[in-house]
Amino acid sequence: MAEEFNTDSMLSMFLYESNQGLEKLEGIILEKQDADCFDDSDINEIFRIMHTIKGSSAVLMYENIKTASHKLEDVFYYLRESHPENVPHRELVEKVLAVSDFITGELEKIKAGSDPDGDEKELVADLEEFLGELKGEIKKQGIRLPKANKQEEPTQFYITPVAEEDSHFYRIVIHYKSDTQMSNIRAYSATYALKEVAEDLLYTPEDILSNEGSHDNILAEGFHMLLQTKASKEEVLELIDSSEAESIDFNEINSTEYGKALTEFGREAPPIVINLDEDKSAAKDDKQQAPIAPGDYVVKSKETGKGKTLAKNQAKQQAIISVNVEKMDALMDMIGELVIAEATVLQNPDLKVPGLDLTNFQKAAAQLAKNTTELQDVIMSMRMMPLTSVFQKMRRIVFDVSRKLGKDIEFEVIGENTEVDKNIIEHISDPLMHLVRNSVDHGIEDDPEVRMANGKSPKGKITLEAKNEGGKVYISVKDDGKGLNKEKLYNKAMENGLIGDKAMSEFTDKDIFKFITLPGFSTKEVVTEYSGRGVGMDVVVKNIQSIGGRLDIDSVEGQGSEMTLVIPLTLAIISGIVIQVGEAPFVIEMASIKEFISVGEDALIQEPGGEEYLVLRGDCFPFIRLGEKYDLPGAKSKLEDGIVAVVEHEGKQICILIDKILQEQEIVVKPIPSYVKKVKGLSGCTQLGDGSIALILDVGGLMIEEERR
Amino acid sequence: MKILLAEDDFASRKFMDKQLSQYGECDVMVDGEEAVDAFMMALDDEEPYDLVCLDVMMPVMDGYQVLKAIRDIETQKGIPKSERVKVIMTTALNDERNVKMAFELGCEAYAGKPIDMEKFEKVLKKLELI
Repeated sequence: MAEEFNTDSMLSMFLYESNQGLEKLEGIILEKQDADCFDDSDINEIFRIMHTIKGSSAVLMYENIKTASHKLEDVFYYLRESHPENVPHRELVEKVLAVSDFITGELEKIKAGSDPDGDEKELVADLEEFLGELKGEIKKQGIRLPKANKQEEPTQFYITPVAEEDSHFYRIVIHYKSDTQMSNIRAYSATYALKEVAEDLLYTPEDILSNEGSHDNILAEGFHMLLQTKASKEEVLELIDSSEAESIDFNEINSTEYGKALTEFGREAPPIVINLDEDKSAAKDDKQQAPIAPGDYVVKSKETGKGKTLAKNQAKQQAIISVNVEKMDALMDMIGELVIAEATVLQNPDLKVPGLDLTNFQKAAAQLAKNTTELQDVIMSMRMMPLTSVFQKMRRIVFDVSRKLGKDIEFEVIGENTEVDKNIIEHISDPLMHLVRNSVDHGIEDDPEVRMANGKSPKGKITLEAKNEGGKVYISVKDDGKGLNKEKLYNKAMENGLIGDKAMSEFTDKDIFKFITLPGFSTKEVVTEYSGRGVGMDVVVKNIQSIGGRLDIDSVEGQGSEMTLVIPLTLAIISGIVIQVGEAPFVIEMASIKEFISVGEDALIQEPGGEEYLVLRGDCFPFIRLGEKYDLPGAKSKLEDGIVAVVEHEGKQICILIDKILQEQEIVVKPIPSYVKKVKGLSGCTQLGDGSIALILDVGGLMIEEERR
Repeated sequence: MKILLAEDDFASRKFMDKQLSQYGECDVMVDGEEAVDAFMMALDDEEPYDLVCLDVMMPVMDGYQVLKAIRDIETQKGIPKSERVKVIMTTALNDERNVKMAFELGCEAYAGKPIDMEKFEKVLKKLELI
């Protein structure tokens, strides 16, 4: 966390704002890449974004960013003022992207702590030329040129501080020998020596110079110091005169502990504001922090005898802090335990004693339940992020790659606002990029003629879709290209010795498609810049598996392919319904339950092979008797006695016979411990309020098994 | 060039004095009030400063107050905007809102500590001081 304190907030604000601007810019550009021209609001927006970046980079003295953004601003100034027609749109789009790439690159350098030293001259000359042509065109169209875009040199500058190393935090206790004379003077000289390297130094007792009594105090309890410095332990020890010291306790602590220790030493810990909603950070900041005014930073003159606490090194306030995901996970786990504990209290068997007056208890319980639910919502929302930015990137990739390869491709995005766990976003970006590139490069035919011959539009189409279903996120990349050739895949896999010598008929279509995910497989003879190196798909699969997901491949030759990433939401807390079969409680996830229904034996159809089906309102569904399946003693076997649960998974439905419904409950999903044999159809377990363990039914797993039978 | 430096921390003062002395004669003050006094005295003697470097956290008056006082005095004396003294804030307080406020109060530059002397010199050039 040490680096948090060293971040320059002006700089991070600049980076944040500029990145936001550029993201927006790319969004506009890519949305309008195929249009004939930008409309007025786009032009205004791009002009405004460039103007902002130009202004702030000038204040921070990043000359190359300033020059590049200024030139582009100029171009859009003329577009805005003169409304010329016949602007070469494609060319303009490329220019804007070139500038945006250049600035992004420079911002990255700044972020990494190095100097933005990219050369903007070529880019600017290029823009200058474009602008010249544009002006000529404007004149030709008989529109008067507007007054030149007046460039105001900034009159105010911000000098970013030199990058600092991370600070170390030390807690030092010096114990002087019991016969040391004037230990307070010695202690003071130690603090004096440390001041040279200290960013912050606190010590106790404080009144060492003026109060001679402190001598005894120091001898008795040691001299305590709290030090923030860039110096290493050795350097610090060097500075402390240890000739009379009996021992020196030297501990390096982290900044959190340091913050805590500060209060012990009688100073207020630095305030840290956690901002949940990054987008609104700027607006929120103003509200959360009291306004400052000149005069707020007057340093109180030293009171005699008080050690000067270096007020200038007050920790800076942070509006946004980044939190280690592990800590978030730990918090998540703890909230999970809390939910279990809550259930244990609220459903405690002791409460069932007859004749208890529970009115007040119930009130308090309702309050508790409300708070824990809110707590869950907050932690969830802290982790959830929309896929928008990832999808934006994909847009850009399709644009770049299709241009390079000379393919005309329409790109459609569906469900970009789907929210997923932040952790997942970080993991799917690269795999998704591979899939999208593959679709553009291999999926869509090289020659539009071939497409036309197959009765397709000459323009290729790629669809990127995200949806959230049954606790899982589905992200699919679909193209209407040539599809996968099973024979080719099979032969290739044989050639590379990936599948032994099994005949093609031994594999299902899906199995054959899966070949492309094997390491060392690539059907494309020619390796292109974008794909076909044979390292793509197996890495994709490995990445996806590492977050518990899978890759589904579907393809029809000549019509296109669809690659779907199926990723769990990693929601550790789900809402579910507790049911009972025999003596055993089970949990069915709420999202998969369609209905509970009571039917008679006449709805049942028995096949000669023993399979059973239920006919409900004219539709026929597979039927599972849970009691029979898991051999549960005491389970009801007659349909009339039990209840039928209709559950759904990926569009398919099955019916399950259960004994009774117990309650609805927030369920904390725990994995089934490894010492228990893996049982099909169960995805985890949980603890109920009365302390008993309930198994969680995996509806998808049940279906797969049912299909196999 | 005549420079006024206000800085209460001994080590910073020593460092800045050394750096600034390369560019001209540097007067060093240890608190905000002294800085304002020195500024007024120089105006009265008709030998005004060309550059004022202000720390923010100082005893008696803080850097922002000094900056405001300096601008107020200049306005009151009818000094045109182009002839106003150049002010650079030098401080570790580089929160965005601090910087914004200082810009609104009318400083020319805001240097975060530890100061990047290379950029500092660039700014002096831009301000046409050297």
